[in-house]
Amino acid sequence: MSLRSPLARVSYHGAARDGVGHWWAQRVTASALAPLSAWLLVALLTLPASDYTAVTAWIGAGWNPVLLALTVLLACWHSWLGVQVIIEDYVHSPGRKIAGLLLSMGAHALLAASGIYAVLRIALRSAA
Amino acid sequence: MAEFKLPPNSRIDTRAGKTHRASAGAKSVRTFKIYRFDPHAQQRPRVDSYEVDMAGCGPMVLDALLKIKNEIDPTLSLRRSCREGICGSCAMNINGLNTLACTKACDELGRGDINIFPLPHMPVVKDLVTDLTDFYAQYAAVKPWLQTRTPAAPDRERLQSKDDQQRIDRPSACILCACCSTACPSYWWNSERYLGPAALLAAYRWIVDSRDDATGERLDALEDPFRLYRCHTIMNCTEACPKDLNPAKAIGAIKQMLAERQH
Repeated sequence: MSLRSPLARVSYHGAARDGVGHWWAQRVTASALAPLSAWLLVALLTLPASDYTAVTAWIGAGWNPVLLALTVLLACWHSWLGVQVIIEDYVHSPGRKIAGLLLSMGAHALLAASGIYAVLRIALRSAA
Repeated sequence: MAEFKLPPNSRIDTRAGKTHRASAGAKSVRTFKIYRFDPHAQQRPRVDSYEVDMAGCGPMVLDALLKIKNEIDPTLSLRRSCREGICGSCAMNINGLNTLACTKACDELGRGDINIFPLPHMPVVKDLVTDLTDFYAQYAAVKPWLQTRTPAAPDRERLQSKDDQQRIDRPSACILCACCSTACPSYWWNSERYLGPAALLAAYRWIVDSRDDATGERLDALEDPFRLYRCHTIMNCTEACPKDLNPAKAIGAIKQMLAERQH
């Protein structure tokens, strides 16, 4: 039990002077992902053939690898921001919270890096 | 982790509820199921049923509660004062929605039983009385008073245009009943660090006040991942407000002001 005043308790450690960037990034990535996911969905559904050769050829064609890499990057970024909010909302023990945040950061970075690497690898192979 | 279940001694004992039957001559009987908790009884909370003869009762839920307290069971505890929606004392959860018992008519609640619980996720002092200490501290934390550096003219009040007054008109009508904050899931999970819709609406009321000189400092004090940005625009606050105010919109406006000063 603590005898701190209620005002001191709710004031916690003061304002972190942070949060605007997170809020802005969440909205910007969402706005970018809306047209990108629509493009991806339409493009994949309208592919004339869906075998391995056709899809890898499509990935390497024209601007597709650039837009695909961008989609992967932004999706991972947006998901990382969202998962961070969920962890901060629900996980209250400091140790588990930091562990969760780091794990999510690592997993999303790994996902983004491997996704972009896969796109580049297919694109550069078909370009060669 | 967030506690999705109440601790065992706070869970409702479904077998312990008592039923107070209406007298044989009652004409139009309505059942009120009311949450009961006595901190001194060393018992889990229970839900008691009260059959009230609506023929001899006023139209509002508060009328029925006072009839129960006066005529059926004097041990029932609740807060009330003005009985006209301006003091905010009788805020409680009625049929699943936070509202004021004094302005909610029983007829608005359909024909079935009326379930009355204390404001959600707050420590219960007794029955329908919750501990609002931190809620009031959060209100105090946003410094809800005029802060100026500009000296007032010696011969008149600080003037305000009609348009400027209109901006604070609605947010000033908040009666601090806590219906909004205690309806907010984000406030449930993080009430120690998230200020909640009521305190943020109060903050907004002073941020947009044309006579206040501390707008920047007020925004500084809110720029925090928990104090402000725990709001995920769920909008239960606006849904619950018995005064038809819009805390969600005020919070959105604060976020917009914080974003605008970045660029």
